[in-house]
Amino acid sequence: MLTLIVAAKGGGVLIPATVGLAGLGAIFGLALAIASKKFKVEIDPRIEQITELLPKANCGACGFAGCSAYAEALVKGAMELGVCSPSSSEATARIAELLGKEASAREKKVAFLHCAGGKVSRRRFVYDGIATCAAANLIGGGNLGCEFGCTAFYDCVRACPFGAIEIDEIGMPYVNPRTCTGCGICVKVCPRYLFELVPANKTIFVACSNPERGKFVRLVCDIGCIGCTKCVKVCKLEAIEMREGLAVIHHEKCTMCGDCIPVCPKKIIHNFAEPHVAQRPTAEEAA
Amino acid sequence: MFAIVIGMVFVNNFVFARFLGLCPYMGLTKEMSSAIGMGMAVIFVMTIASIATYPLYSYFLLPFGVERVLRTASFILVIAALVQFIEMLLQKVNPALYKAMGIYLPIITTNCTILGVTVLNIDTFVKDGKAQPGGLVGSAVQGFSAGVGFTLAMILMSSVRERMEMADIPKPLRGIPIAFITAALMSMAFLGFSGLIKQ
Repeated sequence: MLTLIVAAKGGGVLIPATVGLAGLGAIFGLALAIASKKFKVEIDPRIEQITELLPKANCGACGFAGCSAYAEALVKGAMELGVCSPSSSEATARIAELLGKEASAREKKVAFLHCAGGKVSRRRFVYDGIATCAAANLIGGGNLGCEFGCTAFYDCVRACPFGAIEIDEIGMPYVNPRTCTGCGICVKVCPRYLFELVPANKTIFVACSNPERGKFVRLVCDIGCIGCTKCVKVCKLEAIEMREGLAVIHHEKCTMCGDCIPVCPKKIIHNFAEPHVAQRPTAEEAA
Repeated sequence: MFAIVIGMVFVNNFVFARFLGLCPYMGLTKEMSSAIGMGMAVIFVMTIASIATYPLYSYFLLPFGVERVLRTASFILVIAALVQFIEMLLQKVNPALYKAMGIYLPIITTNCTILGVTVLNIDTFVKDGKAQPGGLVGSAVQGFSAGVGFTLAMILMSSVRERMEMADIPKPLRGIPIAFITAALMSMAFLGFSGLIKQ
């Protein structure tokens, strides 16, 4: 100690500086090492392992703040397995193995958008407000002629944590069934409830949500269901039902035969596994 | 003491007048909640760091004559170790507080505001190589009020930015550019406080 002071007084600062800093470092290092032992918080190692297996998108589909919070709830037994819709079945099985539970088989679901018109629909007035679907929908029931269709301000595109919703050539959201994990966020975000979670292997559906009579649908949109019931008649399995003026395909009964696709005069029965635009009617066909 | 508080919060505000801590000021002010969380953590760490570094400087670095070479290095070392220790302690003793503040603690250990306030303490309370009486209390108050000033800046900025989310801003200015313009206007407004206390 004394020699250090003498050395410092002598003008040389290199030695006291080095020794001092090294000493400080050593003291703090030691103190931290002891503290980390003493204040160690016991964490179940499975929490980290399960978090690793989860998709780590923190999408919140399970109702927890993030994947690690969900993993913690799983380990504590406060939560059922399989609530995480984005995780693959293999990952779920491995998590079940870690927890010593049976994994319930859960089929993959994807979101479908029940509207093909959107921007095609007539506009009732010019909307220049806040550019979100939620805001646009609040003003006079939205500026679309169709009160049921997509407002095309892309709340769903922004909300999707997996980037699975693209905007196609005519400005409609398109859910890519390969990247969609079925977390259901778009279902909640869409102010008009146009998304539906359906089994990933049943991709034929009616891309319209307007239940009004054909005449009124025609007034507002060229590609909407006019309630002609042609698809209902052609379906051998009685999987298609008329709900008011709108044809609805029941996915439990559908076998994906595709018979209904060509008969639709408005071409709004789509096979979603293929890109949306290709199946859209041209202007002449629609008119 | 009152002059120190007013000076650090308004006149020489760390963000508006000294332009320190701009990284969290821009990065964490998108939401009010994260801005407040960060602000609280900064107040806490600044006070602790001020209390820890002032004695270190006046009783260790000064007597050994190494205050010039070791000031920055030893301060960073002390602050980082201290915050690390507090983080551990918090996780054990008060998990709820840890959840609220824990994520901000590691971010600010090496933040320039913290080092800035400790260095400023030394400039203010050590004159001609001698520690002034009441320096420790003064440092603590100065650190605390610097944190309050930072939190004030964070809250002001985040409330403005929350509103800007909904505003119709020209496309090239959206996001960070308009935030920088807002920050500039705000610090100009804070220039109005200069001269409130004698420097």
